[in-house]
Amino acid sequence: MMNRPRAILTVLATVVVWSLMSESSSWAQPSPRDAHNHDQLRGIALTAKAFRAAAQRIEPSLVTIESFGGVSTAAGRIGGIRQRGEGNTTGVMISPDGFVVTSSFNFIEQPPVITVITADGQRRVAKLLGRDDSRRICLLQIEGVTDMPVPEMVPLDDVQVGQWAVSVGVGYGDKNPAISMGIISAKNRIGGRAIQTDANISPANYGGPLVDIEGRMIGVCVPIAPNSGSLGSGVEWYDSGIGFAIPLHGAEKLLERLKNGVHIQRAFLGIRSEDDPDQPGIKISQVIPGTAAAEAGLKSGDRLTAIDEQEIQNVMDLRKLLARFMAGDEIKLVYEREGKTAEKQITLGAPPKPEDEDTPSLFPGRRRAPDRR
Amino acid sequence: MGSTLDTQIVGRLLVAVILAVASGSSLAAQQLNGAFAPAIQLAQKRMAKVYGATAGRVDGYSSGVIVSNDGLIITMQGIYLNGRQVRVTLHDGSQHDARVIRRDRDLQLALLQIDAETPDFFELSDADVGQKGDWVVTLSNAFKVADGVEPMSVNLGVISLRTSIEARLNARDIAYRGPLVLIDAITSNPGAGGGAVVTVDGQLVGTIGRVINSSETNTRLNYAVPGKILKAFVEGRVTQPVAEQTIRPATGNAELGIRLFRLGGRLAPAYIDRVVSGSPAQQAGLKPDDLVISIGGEKIGTIREYDAAIERLAPTQEVIIVVKRRLQLIRVPLTTVEKK
Repeated sequence: MMNRPRAILTVLATVVVWSLMSESSSWAQPSPRDAHNHDQLRGIALTAKAFRAAAQRIEPSLVTIESFGGVSTAAGRIGGIRQRGEGNTTGVMISPDGFVVTSSFNFIEQPPVITVITADGQRRVAKLLGRDDSRRICLLQIEGVTDMPVPEMVPLDDVQVGQWAVSVGVGYGDKNPAISMGIISAKNRIGGRAIQTDANISPANYGGPLVDIEGRMIGVCVPIAPNSGSLGSGVEWYDSGIGFAIPLHGAEKLLERLKNGVHIQRAFLGIRSEDDPDQPGIKISQVIPGTAAAEAGLKSGDRLTAIDEQEIQNVMDLRKLLARFMAGDEIKLVYEREGKTAEKQITLGAPPKPEDEDTPSLFPGRRRAPDRR
Repeated sequence: MGSTLDTQIVGRLLVAVILAVASGSSLAAQQLNGAFAPAIQLAQKRMAKVYGATAGRVDGYSSGVIVSNDGLIITMQGIYLNGRQVRVTLHDGSQHDARVIRRDRDLQLALLQIDAETPDFFELSDADVGQKGDWVVTLSNAFKVADGVEPMSVNLGVISLRTSIEARLNARDIAYRGPLVLIDAITSNPGAGGGAVVTVDGQLVGTIGRVINSSETNTRLNYAVPGKILKAFVEGRVTQPVAEQTIRPATGNAELGIRLFRLGGRLAPAYIDRVVSGSPAQQAGLKPDDLVISIGGEKIGTIREYDAAIERLAPTQEVIIVVKRRLQLIRVPLTTVEKK
């Protein structure tokens, strides 16, 4: 395995060699047999070698996740998608004592039984702890381990748009993980929670790591979309050049909450509203009882104009704004009632259940034989 | 790629850094582009656009690669080749009638021949070309974007993995289980099948496969059929890895003495309802409510997978079964008996 300084050297060397080679020759008659092209090919081969080394460096922390049973997708849609693959999924060991981070997408069927195969080939029963719907990540725990290898995390400040990024995953069913190469496309996405990449992010690597050229972990690959809360949203972008990863460096507080089994849900205000192009803001057409909006005393006919100093022009604005917040967050609402402007500080709630439009059918087997731990 | 090269490169790096500092020259990013150009230019001359019959929603065209100097072309198998005429357009815009020499439904490949000399062709190799992480360029006529003399569309990617995939084709097609080269360039598009996947030094990794869904991920697969399979196909010596059922006689009549809880349907997990008294399962200590999660190293996610795994066993065969009991995974060897 390539060590870190050498990996840096290799990449640097490649770039420098390229720049040197190219100055001394013309591209008019290119042929792979040209001497200088030969050097260039060796330079390219070195980048390929660096990709392999990067993937290999994270492999000891890579786990294969198997799930058994759960909700059927045969009867309809679940989490906004028709069907998830039948294969295993990917996770990353993030602490020596057996905490595994992965994508909540991988458990869209809510399987009662989950097992994890670590890089040493050992299979263990895993417990699903907390999850964060706003990041599509969750934590698993396997017990009885103390010295699991964990990856080095890249601080967000060290991540640059345009730098190499390699996604790694075992979802194709081979023990040997598949990789995809790309660059960092953007850093500040999905309310600052995600990094965007053009490396392929798909069910083959959801829950797996996005790593830099040195094999350090940039983030966890997840399906996610800016304006949708349903668990399967973002999957349709798998071959589009748009993929997301959730950075975890410095996320100790978040991970602590997940370890404690907290389910972090997206914010739910509790109004139905409609656009009114003639006047500023949006018109509230209905306030759903028992929600944050109802508690705050909002009424139908009120006109919502701003949240936390951000103006709202239409219903889409409201949706995008709310997507930045989680249940439990406090926000300031500005609204108009009978021509008068009022302000109110409210605490956002969680969406009422069920979250998905279609009610999935349960396997009787699941009811009969629940996990007994 | 040995350490000598690394030393060489690092040596060059030192010189380069000194030069760069001295001259103040910057690293020119656009120079990266040039490295792929020679391989692409070579490959373009070895490509063919294939046009057949359009039938309903089936595409009447695909891409192809030239593999001999006497006009042999590998392309995608499909009913578009069943029409009265198959036409091929070469890189110089010349058009030719093609004969279908050979077709293989498992591999989804067809071999065509045109009556023309084709001095530019891909050499097929018995060895694997390219490994995981290597850069590849793909050339194809996806969506029939390239017309007449226009060159093929080129995409860049790397080899994701060399593997074999349980691919799920349309119900009427046969799943091909041989080796595949997964790539991360997006090639799973109409008309791209039969296109070339080429390393930066111009060697053929394989041909772009047809649009298929992986049952593992429920996504379309971007993959190539490896060159050595192509070579075997061209030479008429394809051996499919389907030998499993012929090796072991009399499978399907083996028994472990496990009775599953089956009221949940075939997609429910394989929970044990009871174990037959005196059976191998009982002797091994398996119990009701144990969940079978693996037989012979193969994951058992559903009752359907359990049934398929048992069906593949022969009597008096030893097999390792893993069950989950509470938080424990229990691994037991069992020897099957003949079904009564």
